[in-house]
Amino acid sequence: MALETHDFQAFRGTEPPRFANRAELECAKILDYYGVPWEYEPRTFVLEAGEDGRVLEAFTPDFYLPEQDLYLEVTVMKQSLVTRKNRKLRKLRARYPEVNAKLFYKRDLERLAERLSVNFEA
Amino acid sequence: MSLGEVYFTAAQIRHRVGELGAEIARDYEGRDLLLVVPLKGSIVFATDLSRCIRIHHALDFLQLESYGRGTGVKLLKDLDADIGGRDVLIVEDVVDTGLTLNYLCKTIRLRAPSSLAIVTLLDRPYRRLVELPVRYVGFTVPDELFVGYGFDLDQRYRNLPDLHVFRRDRGHVSLTDSRAGRRASR
Repeated sequence: MALETHDFQAFRGTEPPRFANRAELECAKILDYYGVPWEYEPRTFVLEAGEDGRVLEAFTPDFYLPEQDLYLEVTVMKQSLVTRKNRKLRKLRARYPEVNAKLFYKRDLERLAERLSVNFEA
Repeated sequence: MSLGEVYFTAAQIRHRVGELGAEIARDYEGRDLLLVVPLKGSIVFATDLSRCIRIHHALDFLQLESYGRGTGVKLLKDLDADIGGRDVLIVEDVVDTGLTLNYLCKTIRLRAPSSLAIVTLLDRPYRRLVELPVRYVGFTVPDELFVGYGFDLDQRYRNLPDLHVFRRDRGHVSLTDSRAGRRASR
């Protein structure tokens, strides 16, 4: 997917972000607009590992907000359909209780973008 | 006009706003209280609240530019008052992620008020992304779309005395491609 390039001001990472989808880009633009420093996928958390140490399940939240010490996972799915991501968040919290992570819903994006329908497929 | 059900009646809101006003009056007695009101959604709540705060205080207003019209937030209308050394209380209609209010708090803190706190009519603390000095909360509400009592949809319904909830699946309004004021849904 070819996403528009954007000159981010509040990006605090080192490598230029390569967003997986339109929703992530929109989230980054909103964080940037409101002057909230952010990083993109800076850390992968191992959720399950085999006895041999092999990683069986991992989770890489989309954003990290250093000022809030908060990881954000963006989802544009209906809230009733976010079971899988919620399950990952629960596992993350259980295994890394010191880590603060939240889902960032489509409705959050829409509220901050000040419109009721944001087309993330465009 | 087809609206969703009443979530809070005008009487319920009036009662709660009265309680907030009394609490604020107690806390700020003898201090230099300034209510800072972001336009436009907070104005109905702010004017009612102000009349319930039975101590001397001042009101001032500001307006932030809407998202998408520039590369960063700008003040369309700045405060008229000098807030240095004063006790600033931001009057919000609703707080959820807190990103907008966080920007506002940062801006105000640069002007060195004596204190800074927030009163909000509605709160969605479970959606909060940033920590904010929210000291007074009218009601904690679910993740719904509200209109009335200052909350708008395309600049309509602000004048309704009750707070109504719109449910997206009931077809009270066409939400698709509708651009609404941020106060209605923020």
